Amino acid sequence: MERLIIVVAVLPLISALFIQLFAGHFGRAIARLSVAMTTLSFLLSGLLLALAITGSETLVISLGSSSTVLLFDPLSTLLATIILGISLIVHLYSVRYMAEEAGYGQFFVLLDMMTAALLFMVIAGDLITLVISWYLVGVVLYFLLGQDTRSQTAYRFAFWTLITYRLGDLPLILAAALLFNAYDTWSLTIIFNEVMANPNAHQVLGLPLTDVVAALIGLAAFARSAQFLLHTWLPYTMDGPTPVSALMHAGIVNAGGFLINRFAPLFIHSSEVLHWIFIVGLITAIFGSLLMLTQNDIKKALGYSTMGQMGFMIMECGIGAFSLAIYHMFAHGVFKGTMFLSAGGVINHAREDDGIPKDELYTFAVEKRPNQARYPWLLMAAVTLLVPLVILVFAHLLVSEDYFQKQGAIVLLFFGWVTGAQLIFATYKMRSQNVWRLVGLSILSLLIVVLGYVFISHVFDQFLYPDAAFQAQLYSAANIDALSFDVLVVIITLIIVSGWGITYFSEQHGHRRAQKSKRLWLNFYALISREFYISDVYTRLSRTLLTMSSRLNVWLRWL
Amino acid sequence: MSDLLTILLVGIFLPLFPMSMVFNAVLENIKPNGLRVILFILWPLIGLLIALNSDFSIPDWLLPLALSTSLLYAIRMLTLREVNQWSGFLATSIWGLLWLPILQGSSAELLYSFAIGMSVPLVLLVLLAAGLERRFGAAYTGLYGGLARTIPRYAWVLVTVVVAAIATPLFPTFFFMLDMVVETISSTPSAALVLLLIWLFWSWAGTRLIQGLIVGRASNSKIADMDMTSVSFYSIVLIALMVAGIYLAGAIL
Repeated sequence: MERLIIVVAVLPLISALFIQLFAGHFGRAIARLSVAMTTLSFLLSGLLLALAITGSETLVISLGSSSTVLLFDPLSTLLATIILGISLIVHLYSVRYMAEEAGYGQFFVLLDMMTAALLFMVIAGDLITLVISWYLVGVVLYFLLGQDTRSQTAYRFAFWTLITYRLGDLPLILAAALLFNAYDTWSLTIIFNEVMANPNAHQVLGLPLTDVVAALIGLAAFARSAQFLLHTWLPYTMDGPTPVSALMHAGIVNAGGFLINRFAPLFIHSSEVLHWIFIVGLITAIFGSLLMLTQNDIKKALGYSTMGQMGFMIMECGIGAFSLAIYHMFAHGVFKGTMFLSAGGVINHAREDDGIPKDELYTFAVEKRPNQARYPWLLMAAVTLLVPLVILVFAHLLVSEDYFQKQGAIVLLFFGWVTGAQLIFATYKMRSQNVWRLVGLSILSLLIVVLGYVFISHVFDQFLYPDAAFQAQLYSAANIDALSFDVLVVIITLIIVSGWGITYFSEQHGHRRAQKSKRLWLNFYALISREFYISDVYTRLSRTLLTMSSRLNVWLRWL
Repeated sequence: MSDLLTILLVGIFLPLFPMSMVFNAVLENIKPNGLRVILFILWPLIGLLIALNSDFSIPDWLLPLALSTSLLYAIRMLTLREVNQWSGFLATSIWGLLWLPILQGSSAELLYSFAIGMSVPLVLLVLLAAGLERRFGAAYTGLYGGLARTIPRYAWVLVTVVVAAIATPLFPTFFFMLDMVVETISSTPSAALVLLLIWLFWSWAGTRLIQGLIVGRASNSKIADMDMTSVSFYSIVLIALMVAGIYLAGAIL
């Protein structure tokens, strides 16, 4: 089995090397080799995953006498399979999609190198391998995004990505150095065992080492997963080839969630850091969704949608739902990868039919269709608020009776509630001739999604963290004191209920905004459309630094 | 007094500002490429030779000065456009950090290995700059661009060499930087932070250099690409560097 794990990781590297050496001889047919190697690697990783599911023990594989260690555990096998699955789809798509592009062979070399770097990142059992692969993901991504070497824009935004990723590398390197100094080993397994045995054994600058390292790991994850203030690169990297966008949004950007999961034994002892992670994730989810809604460019909107999803994933870690973050990563990866790879098809379809719903006045006056029925707003508001709540509570109770003892579960419930309510409201707004049929279908789909989500995330929980005590520790580390939590629950419930009430009421009675609030909304829209001026601030700061560099060179006579 | 003089002398070769300006002045005035290559290899070795064979006490201000020098040149690299000058500044920034293992009492063998491992990519860059001067009349970013389309093999080698020079895994400078961060994080955390900042600026400057040279449309005029023998030579040296990096990692980490 040890050999099998090494083979899975090394196959993409062999493929990259072979293509680099023989691309000239085989021409474009060389892509088939890359696809074949990825397929083989994927099948083998599937086999490893099956072994892990059937209860194989965690394996630590040392490579020779070096400190390089590979880890075979549920997290690494699951993620290796996901990475290889997504990579295989991207490979297959690229064979034809990239056929007319220059540097065809080079593209597959980079794609294989990226797959290898991601694989080594998830199976790394020591800090050096982890740091190296983490670093290399950023470097290879830079060149993948800059596949079109004629495009200055592609390189400009590839540079933004690289610099943000490099910023994220630094805290990880610091964390690795601190852990090595404290425990005198690079092995993650040994470090985690020692942390679990004695979490407060070491201090840094008067602070517990676990807190400092957890904060640094959090920062590294923020940069990689485009969290607020470190997100500006994500929506702008659309000049890269579509398969790269798919790979990036479906796989690479999720690395933050993986990193936090990998260091779960440290986070158990760092409650404060988990709370900060939750706040950053929440802010990112809100800002990402807000910015997504205001975009008129489909790819940029997808970029901001990913940002929102990443915020949600990081937030899940912040409430102790670590395995849920991994499931979210998987589900979002499949969903977003599909969207990117079908973006071309959507554009083609849009050329034939713009898909914009017709104005109500138009359908009444021109198409002579009767006005749609309106149901009492209070009834619809009640349905919107109660039905999702009932479905969510029912689904969670089916999984585990003590589920509502976990604060994190209740936080997630709120999000599920708001999302479900949004779905029913959107259906209501459609004003179909048969509203109840549409609402019924929405509720049915919500029921399927919620049940699926709850059951699958429960399975992920059992697979990734089979130790119930450890799982409970993760949730309790994220807890805040009961009174504050209950007060927050009541306040947020009131806000949600009154928010939906007002929404339905104003929807029913028409929008009559005062001139003053209209201006306020316009200003707010302007602020969002400029993306809160964050990129502008960064650009200004970069220019200031470059001007300083230039002046220094002039003053020091270029010596 | 003699301690100070020794430091000043070593500070020319293991650059400490303002003595660091000597190397860049010498580099600017030496035109033959062979001499430039020798300069890049020998300069830090001379510094190490003097430092390791002299008996002098190291003052407290040396570490901040060495780090500041390295940071200063890393920042100044950001706006350099001439490849030889860029290599000189990167060399100054990298070699200045050799003071750190000296302060920590690292073995002479390790110090020489570090110096050579860090200088070889710079030597390759000087050779590549010479090739650009032959083809275009100047090795200057943003002047012609589009090398990836005009001379793809040359561009590939150039990119890999720059990547090696700016401390990317698995090249020796990466492991040197990692080791320095590990060594300083407990005793002087501020030094570790400055090291990371310097590292970040190298990446920034490296990407600016790459973009200024390889990105853009292909040139209309016919320009000879690198021949396969040269590609093989550069590839072998780069692979050897990676192997050396892994070997160094085994020795220090």
